[in-house]
Amino acid sequence: MDFSFTEEQQMLRDSVTRFLQQKYDFDARQAIVNSDQPWSPEIWKAFGELGLLALPFPEAKGGFGGTITDIVAVAEGFGEHLIVEPYVSSILLAGQSLAASGNAAASADLTAIMSGGKTAAFAHEEGKGTPVPVLVAFNARKTEDGFILDGEKRMVLGAAQADLLIVSARIEGSPGDKNGLALFMVEPDLPGITITPFQTIDGRAAAHIRFDDVDLPLENLLEKDAFYLIQSVIASAIIALCAEAVGVMETLLKITGEYAATRKQFGTTIGTFQAIAHRMADMKIAYTKAQSTMIYTAALAEAGKAQPRDISILKGQIGNLGKSIGESAIQIHGGVGMTDELSVGHYHKRLLAIDALFGDSEYHLRRLGAE
Amino acid sequence: MDIDFGPELLAFREEVAAFLDTAPTEAIREAGRKTTSAFPSFEEAQAWLAILNKKGWAAPAWPKEYGGTGWSVEQRYVFEEEYRKRDLPPLLPNSLKMVGPLLIDLGTEEQKAKYLPSILSGEDYWTQGYSEPNSGSDLASLSCRAEADGDDYIINGSKIWTTLAHKSNRMFMLVRTNSEGKKQQGITFLLLERTDYPGMEIRPIDGLDGFPECCEVFFDNVRVPQSGRVGEENDGWSVAKHLLTHERGVSASSPALKRHVERIREVAAEEQTPFGGKLADDAVFQRQLGELEADIASLEHFEKLAISGHEISLDPALPSITKIMNSELVQRVSEIMRQLSGLEGQSLELEALRVGTNVYALGSDMDLIAMPFYLNSRATTIYAGTNEIQRDLIARTLPAG
Repeated sequence: MDFSFTEEQQMLRDSVTRFLQQKYDFDARQAIVNSDQPWSPEIWKAFGELGLLALPFPEAKGGFGGTITDIVAVAEGFGEHLIVEPYVSSILLAGQSLAASGNAAASADLTAIMSGGKTAAFAHEEGKGTPVPVLVAFNARKTEDGFILDGEKRMVLGAAQADLLIVSARIEGSPGDKNGLALFMVEPDLPGITITPFQTIDGRAAAHIRFDDVDLPLENLLEKDAFYLIQSVIASAIIALCAEAVGVMETLLKITGEYAATRKQFGTTIGTFQAIAHRMADMKIAYTKAQSTMIYTAALAEAGKAQPRDISILKGQIGNLGKSIGESAIQIHGGVGMTDELSVGHYHKRLLAIDALFGDSEYHLRRLGAE
Repeated sequence: MDIDFGPELLAFREEVAAFLDTAPTEAIREAGRKTTSAFPSFEEAQAWLAILNKKGWAAPAWPKEYGGTGWSVEQRYVFEEEYRKRDLPPLLPNSLKMVGPLLIDLGTEEQKAKYLPSILSGEDYWTQGYSEPNSGSDLASLSCRAEADGDDYIINGSKIWTTLAHKSNRMFMLVRTNSEGKKQQGITFLLLERTDYPGMEIRPIDGLDGFPECCEVFFDNVRVPQSGRVGEENDGWSVAKHLLTHERGVSASSPALKRHVERIREVAAEEQTPFGGKLADDAVFQRQLGELEADIASLEHFEKLAISGHEISLDPALPSITKIMNSELVQRVSEIMRQLSGLEGQSLELEALRVGTNVYALGSDMDLIAMPFYLNSRATTIYAGTNEIQRDLIARTLPAG
């Protein structure tokens, strides 16, 4: 067994970390979040130069053939710096869906996405959340020469800016069925599409998308019988998001430890109080569990052995442990932890946002017990 | 990153399974089924150790040159999984996980040659003389005194919570050899070849579960040879700290917890709830069990990272984190088992719990062990340094700005 990064992964990790340290400190990040841009085009361009935009795609499609552990090696840094660029949505979700398809138009779009010329969004979640793909209810009606999409997709990251939407939909069956799921490529300016953009609590550009009898030609069907494709694309995205969350947790542990070691009350640093020290110890234990499970699951996935149960363990643990670390960090900081000015709350909100996607910890933990 | 899923591992699993299916005696299997503690029935556990030793499998975690197996991490887990699947009794920890590894690291060649083989064969068992009535969490305040006299020490004082002292033939202990200066600086680590020296008295203490697991040991002018010292005189604290890293160290402990969960699942699948339906289908139970299983999985992941040499193994907080994770999971598992047994856990069945009595349990196997296991496992967050002490230690390793 070996769970260490390879030398190449370590170099990639170091180069991304160095770049983010120079260009993406907390003030720079807040400037991007508070600007009228959804994210920084300069940073996105630089991600391209660092090779990140093509990293996970097969060499045959023009990518660098990176594995899930390559993604993990850089994603912790994304968490540490709270990046808001649409890496998970455009590259890992939409991009990977395109890469897995034999559709000719998909290849052209993928090339544009890898070059940074286009971004795509992954329109999948419905209602208050879609923890597993079989629950997709969004309807695509077959017509003589194509499909009609009707329904709503919620919380689509990067949707209002995307040049292309990848939409999961049900052609047949009802929620709960593995059969009858499909992925579509949809241009966002088609008649009948209404995009309602908003900013998320963690500073991201997202939107709800309403489809009113949107006509799609047959060639926009990216993949039919798409259950396993959707499941595997989401599993990779979950591992990346969880690596990001581990980066967030590590940062919170560091910031909070430093604060407890310097903040004085009653004439001494608060970290010397056992109530604080033990809460910090629990943060460290939670972080250790989260980090271990993230690395182990990534290694399983790299070996092609990660089952849905393993992904549920990861997603359940990261959500649950992350929330407790974030809440402890705020509590130990006291009043100042409640301010928007301090980074702590922003890290916590990132953890909450990661928990909410693709099934929260309550869902995944109960599912583990139910199986 | 790399995890071995190769066919050799399957063959190894078959080899282990075949051995574990045939090697243990019926008494050893019974001791395993009736285990309610980290310390199973002494005689059967030692008999089992002797059998494993003949096969060369007594101490998988030891270095190969001292009798270890040289297995990969994957193989160690396969062995542990197959072992637990059969509910075989765990091996007693004090010799194999504490004094043995300590001697391998710090003992003289003479001490190694003298003591290691008889630890592996099960002929010797070592009890741990650390705590005293007034020195629990504050271990360094210990006052059991040893005075040099020629080639010997003369020991006066007492030790408490000496697990299985009444069954042990040897003892490792901490004594005070100097009362001046810092309390940590006057402590010496001693190996006692016997537990029946003149002046030594051992008194077993019945625990909450009704069994004497711990003892109190009294020393009245007990004369022992100085050759049993490990390390220098007055430098026993650093020896003790080294041993603690083994006592709290990482081992393949998750398979035992997973086996408990498997048994809990079997019971829950049949158990009717007062709200209707089976317990296994109850949402609250599912959520509770799911979180438990996820936490056990995280412990497993952590252990595997640590044993395989990932940089996480260098974390100075690792022994304390391991100890907290494992002890608290044992308690959670035992608490669910106790809940599951309900009224069936209320009967005191000490004779049925003893090996070889032919007294049958009033209820199921799980009902028999649930309550004593729960009661015994309250100790897991107390022994080897309370979990409060462990949290203090973890906090001290955090960034201080």
